Amino acid sequence: MNQQLAGFAPAPVAARMENHGNHMLKVAMQTGNDLLARVGSMVAYEGFVQYEPNPPAVRQIAKDWMTGEGAPLMKCSGDGLLYLSDYGANVVVINLNGDAISVNATNLLAFDAHLTWGVERVKGLAKFAGQGLWNTKISGQGWVALTSRGKPIVVDCGGGEDETYVDPDALVAWSPNLKVKGKRSFKAQSLIGRGSGEAFQMAFSGQGIVVVQPSEDSTDRLRVRG
Amino acid sequence: MAREFQRGHKAKISDLTAGTDLYVGVQITGPGLSFDISCFGLDADEQLSDDRFFVFFNQPKTPEESIQLLGAQAGDTESFRVTLDRIPPQIQKLSFTATIDGAGQMSQVAPGYLRIVAGGEEVARYSFNGGEFSTERAVMLGDFYLKDVWRFAAVGQGFDGGLDALLKNFGGEVAEEEPAAPAPGAAAPSFAPPAQGAAPPAFGAPAGPAVPAPASAPQPAAQGFAPPQGATPPPAPAPSVHAAPTIIAPMTPPGGAPVPPPAPAPAPYAQPGQQQPPYGQAPGQTAPLPPGYGQPQAPQAPVPPPGYGQPTPPPGYGQQPPFGQVPGQPGAPGMPGAPAAYGVPQGAPQGGAGVTAALQAYKETPTGQRWTQQNKKMVRVDLGMGGDQAVLARQGSMVLYQGKVDFSYKGAGFSGRIVGNATGQEMQLMRCSGRGQVFLAENGAMLHPIELQGDAVCVSAENVLAFDETLQYEVRRVEGHGIPGGALFTMQFQGTGTVVVKTRGVPVVLPVTPTTFADCNAVVAWSAASQVIVSSQVRMRRNAYPGDTGESVNLQFRGAPGNFIVVQPYEV
Repeated sequence: MNQQLAGFAPAPVAARMENHGNHMLKVAMQTGNDLLARVGSMVAYEGFVQYEPNPPAVRQIAKDWMTGEGAPLMKCSGDGLLYLSDYGANVVVINLNGDAISVNATNLLAFDAHLTWGVERVKGLAKFAGQGLWNTKISGQGWVALTSRGKPIVVDCGGGEDETYVDPDALVAWSPNLKVKGKRSFKAQSLIGRGSGEAFQMAFSGQGIVVVQPSEDSTDRLRVRG
Repeated sequence: MAREFQRGHKAKISDLTAGTDLYVGVQITGPGLSFDISCFGLDADEQLSDDRFFVFFNQPKTPEESIQLLGAQAGDTESFRVTLDRIPPQIQKLSFTATIDGAGQMSQVAPGYLRIVAGGEEVARYSFNGGEFSTERAVMLGDFYLKDVWRFAAVGQGFDGGLDALLKNFGGEVAEEEPAAPAPGAAAPSFAPPAQGAAPPAFGAPAGPAVPAPASAPQPAAQGFAPPQGATPPPAPAPSVHAAPTIIAPMTPPGGAPVPPPAPAPAPYAQPGQQQPPYGQAPGQTAPLPPGYGQPQAPQAPVPPPGYGQPTPPPGYGQQPPFGQVPGQPGAPGMPGAPAAYGVPQGAPQGGAGVTAALQAYKETPTGQRWTQQNKKMVRVDLGMGGDQAVLARQGSMVLYQGKVDFSYKGAGFSGRIVGNATGQEMQLMRCSGRGQVFLAENGAMLHPIELQGDAVCVSAENVLAFDETLQYEVRRVEGHGIPGGALFTMQFQGTGTVVVKTRGVPVVLPVTPTTFADCNAVVAWSAASQVIVSSQVRMRRNAYPGDTGESVNLQFRGAPGNFIVVQPYEV
């Protein structure tokens, strides 16, 4: 019996964060090197890891995340191996190494606590933001893990004149130096029930990348559970 | 999901997995046979120019430990750990071979496989069985080879001689049988046993109860220099196995053993004795540093991948506690910025640091065609290509576009509406026109572009994602008793162009035979030339009870050979 399952045992740790398969994140935890993770994302851990939901510092920074219901982040500290996942979403691990990235709030799984981060409202979209487009900008030396419903695609904006338009529901992350603005694409027709289904997009321009997922299901599963 | 390889198939390893730290498992068994499974590290001329890169039971790893023999585990007769980015540049090819030890021939082997596991997931499997071979006594199972990037080829080529002939083929030398190598007592370096002993559980598979007997015998032999005669399976008539040890004998004399790291290394072994926390940090670091989980030498690392000849053991492997920090390098304490301790992981799956490097695996695939599948769940259509034709797509399926693209409502027309409303085969479409690239996806469904060249295909309307406007489409009706709603409607596409069909899960494509049936709720598409018949198993009495099988209405397909149906694992 063991033989069939044995192939799924964890590989030896080679880095702070690694993928285990496509859908699970493995974090090597260590004292003094805390991790901020989405509440409810822990699926397993080995060793001595403690969880502090909504620590004061986070509450302060993210006090207005998602209509002020409190930050859906927990601080994990201790020694051991921590496994995180988000309802079968693909996990993408990034070693920032000084870069910065803006992540859609629902697509953020975990990141090193010592990174510089802040929650901000997506600029220029406030007037559309019925569903609340909040993004987290993270930068510094450390690791970030994102989730994506399905394998993501990275598109280079190219820096040309052409803007890249993204369906906000499919957006995962982008380079913070890109210019963002909202674009309404509906015309008078759409008011009488003849829209193209693409009511508004986010337009990115400049040098950088945009990450999109092959799904427009942006419901926050971790959040629904409470 | 593992990709199945047939003999002769090749693939880039980067297409199989983003990782470079691979586990290669070989299962090969046969009644009364025992096998030696080895890995040859060959140079550009396919020669074994350096004996140290012949990894077999008596030389369980290469000097820089990019290739290591792990022994039997998890159902595999023999297994290796291969760290591609640590393989020195002169090694261009790794050939995994199995040779029969003793009498026997390859036609007797039971079905076996060679598989590649990365990050706990099997990514490739090449299965073989004895029927593919005849009287050979060795087989080259598969190769990793470097052609711009590392690739894997399923070889499955038999070889007449045994291990010694194979060695000669690769230009190695077989020393004649000699009285066993130096006395194991003096030779066995004190470090080696822990390294070996701890290795299997850390990697890939819990070795414990799963280890079948056969290959565990050679493994202990690997630590000593002379394989105890009794441990190796039946004594070979030829010099096959027993000749082999002598090849590497010069490489591993007691003093100059390249295997265990020399002076600086004792730290790791001393670790258990020191008072380290269980998941302890790298030993030998000085206090002010935050305990780095990573390698202390990481700060210097950004430039070269930890190289060849470096005495550092690979991370997380064997010598370490389970959480796998790398033992301290003496040079480490001097490192400046504390956070830098996170630097580049040695064995990290991603190629380098930084956002761009980490996302390299997800880059959009280059253009060239009108329809390009980006990955299983996303397609890109280049509207500028193939004449400025518009594309009709399901509303809301656009995830991203670049360029000047106009999205407009596409009505079905008045008569189309009536048909659509009546049949349930109405689609909410939008028309994408202009110039630029549009990325389409919907709810993570798998997408399958079907290119039509004058032929026709029927697709259930809810499984259509997008299609070229040049295609003609109409609603077709499948009549029959017992279908919910009275009849089944599908869309028939005809002409020249592409239809993108979406399925939930991996579909099965069945050839149409005289007895091909499908559930009317799960069938996605079929070639229009096949005839559809509704076959219902009407058993009124049974259907009246609870516990009905629910499989009462099926579609039967009939048609000439060459027709097919597509069924998804999801009943709408």
